[in-house]
Amino acid sequence: MGSIIFRKKKSTFLLFLLPGVIWYSFVTIIPLITSFSYSFFKWSGGPNKTFIGLDNFKMLLQDEIFWQAFKNNLLITLLCVIGQIGFALIISSLLSTKFVKFKNIHRSVIFFPVVLSTIIIGFIWTMMYNKDYGIVNWFLQFLHLDFLIKPWLDDPKIVMLSISLPIIWQYIGYYMVIIMAGMTNISNEVFEMAEIDGATGFRKLIHITLPLLKNTIMVCIMLCIAGNMQVFSHIFVMTSGGPGTSSMVMAMYSYEKSFSQYQLGYGSAISIGILVVSLAMVFISRKLLGGKNDDTAY
Amino acid sequence: MMIQHTRRRALLKFTSNTLTNVFLIAYSVFCIFPIIWMILSSFKSSAEFNADIMAMPTSIKFSNYIDAFKTSNMGLYSLNSFFNALVSTVIVLFLAFIIGYFLARFSFTGKKFLTAFFMFGMLIPIHALLVPTFILFKKLNLFDQRFTLIIPYVAFGLPIAVFLFTSYIKGIPKELEEAAIIDGASFPKILFTIIFPVCRPIVLTIGILQFFSKWNEFPFALVLVNSEKYKTIPIGLRNFSGQYATNYPLLMAGLVLAIIPVILIYVIFNKKIIEGMTTGAVKG
Repeated sequence: MGSIIFRKKKSTFLLFLLPGVIWYSFVTIIPLITSFSYSFFKWSGGPNKTFIGLDNFKMLLQDEIFWQAFKNNLLITLLCVIGQIGFALIISSLLSTKFVKFKNIHRSVIFFPVVLSTIIIGFIWTMMYNKDYGIVNWFLQFLHLDFLIKPWLDDPKIVMLSISLPIIWQYIGYYMVIIMAGMTNISNEVFEMAEIDGATGFRKLIHITLPLLKNTIMVCIMLCIAGNMQVFSHIFVMTSGGPGTSSMVMAMYSYEKSFSQYQLGYGSAISIGILVVSLAMVFISRKLLGGKNDDTAY
Repeated sequence: MMIQHTRRRALLKFTSNTLTNVFLIAYSVFCIFPIIWMILSSFKSSAEFNADIMAMPTSIKFSNYIDAFKTSNMGLYSLNSFFNALVSTVIVLFLAFIIGYFLARFSFTGKKFLTAFFMFGMLIPIHALLVPTFILFKKLNLFDQRFTLIIPYVAFGLPIAVFLFTSYIKGIPKELEEAAIIDGASFPKILFTIIFPVCRPIVLTIGILQFFSKWNEFPFALVLVNSEKYKTIPIGLRNFSGQYATNYPLLMAGLVLAIIPVILIYVIFNKKIIEGMTTGAVKG
């Protein structure tokens, strides 16, 4: 009986679904298609648009800065996977122990940076990293570690580490909450049994929690990879890819080429490059890490 | 001997428990310390700040806030951000609710495709779309208008909202609509007066998440809008920081103004926000 009620005419479907679908396609699918067509031109936004075939893509394949940017994306991703998920694991297993006080406050406070704008985070950390007026150097001085004092964002050798730290810091709370949700799915009996057997602290984490959280961690790693292929605003604010191109990432490079140098044709080719590389990374990580395990993870 | 042994163990346990608590408190402080530093410093004068960046402000001065408002269009930027965020959130809720309802309740040709279509949207890196969207908007005269940013904000808000609605509506018993149909209610009436009110909890969650992401959005606002009168807070802050790069307390006052709404909403709804953001992410 119910199934008869839940049947509608085709026109009803179209009437109700089309507005949303069209709106959505307009900003996702159509730009993707046009992006392809622009990438075959040499074009600076004006009336002169020269067809150059695959030249933009040839240039992209040989563009050292683009590939350096891609490597930087990979480096940030690696640092984030280790820093964010590793730290989130430690924090969440500590938070899940019985004797910890103010659990909910900890959770809310640690999650707070996640909801802040990446721009704001970029500004705050730029100030924190300032050579003379930043708290990073203030603390080092306070701890009598003067020899570590550095212009954190101006030294090409360490700039990648300096820009990764705020990104790691901002999202630890995010992965912490996902991991904690995964932990509540592990039955308490398992932990109690382990404790009776004498497994505590670190050993419990390595031998019991980690194996049972495998799927959750896989999901976290995939989220981390997908997110860090897109990293932009933090870097835009902190270094704009500098000094030189030492902290350049793909999105920053595409922005610079398209909107500072007005190479819209080449910028489109870079966009396609970003798309291909990002989707490939997401795809490879899914294959390597054993498919989509959302259902079991959550 | 025995008693001593248990005592030692108790002591050891006590120490490790205390250490864990201390560590977690320290970490929590680390998570909000930059923000507290920023808020405290925003009440200092420039000279006061330069003298000692960590000292407490000698008195609470609002002069930086007044200056931030006076020297930049902070008020206008906030209004623009608020307008964009609110309008696009309402539209997202409306469109996603309808699509979510259809995905949850009907089986139709193309349903699988539609789901995959929205899934795909979550995979596309936004930065791959910036350049083509910019060109498209220029061509269609959508560039730098009052409603410009609402277009991508709605589109990129849809996928996650659709998924959250779909899974929520699946959990609502069908008897609700069946009874209404027997009473002779029309389809739109059922949709908006019967189902929508039941969805209130998820509407609130989605609404807050959408509002936040729009309030914070940067790349599209950077590329698609040019006039001062349409700029949003993140873009305004960027100009502001260029102008007052050396006056940290003033800059911090500007930043604090930008995050006050976020802090307020977070304090009230943090449980809902955390829940919404993480289920959304994992389901996607």
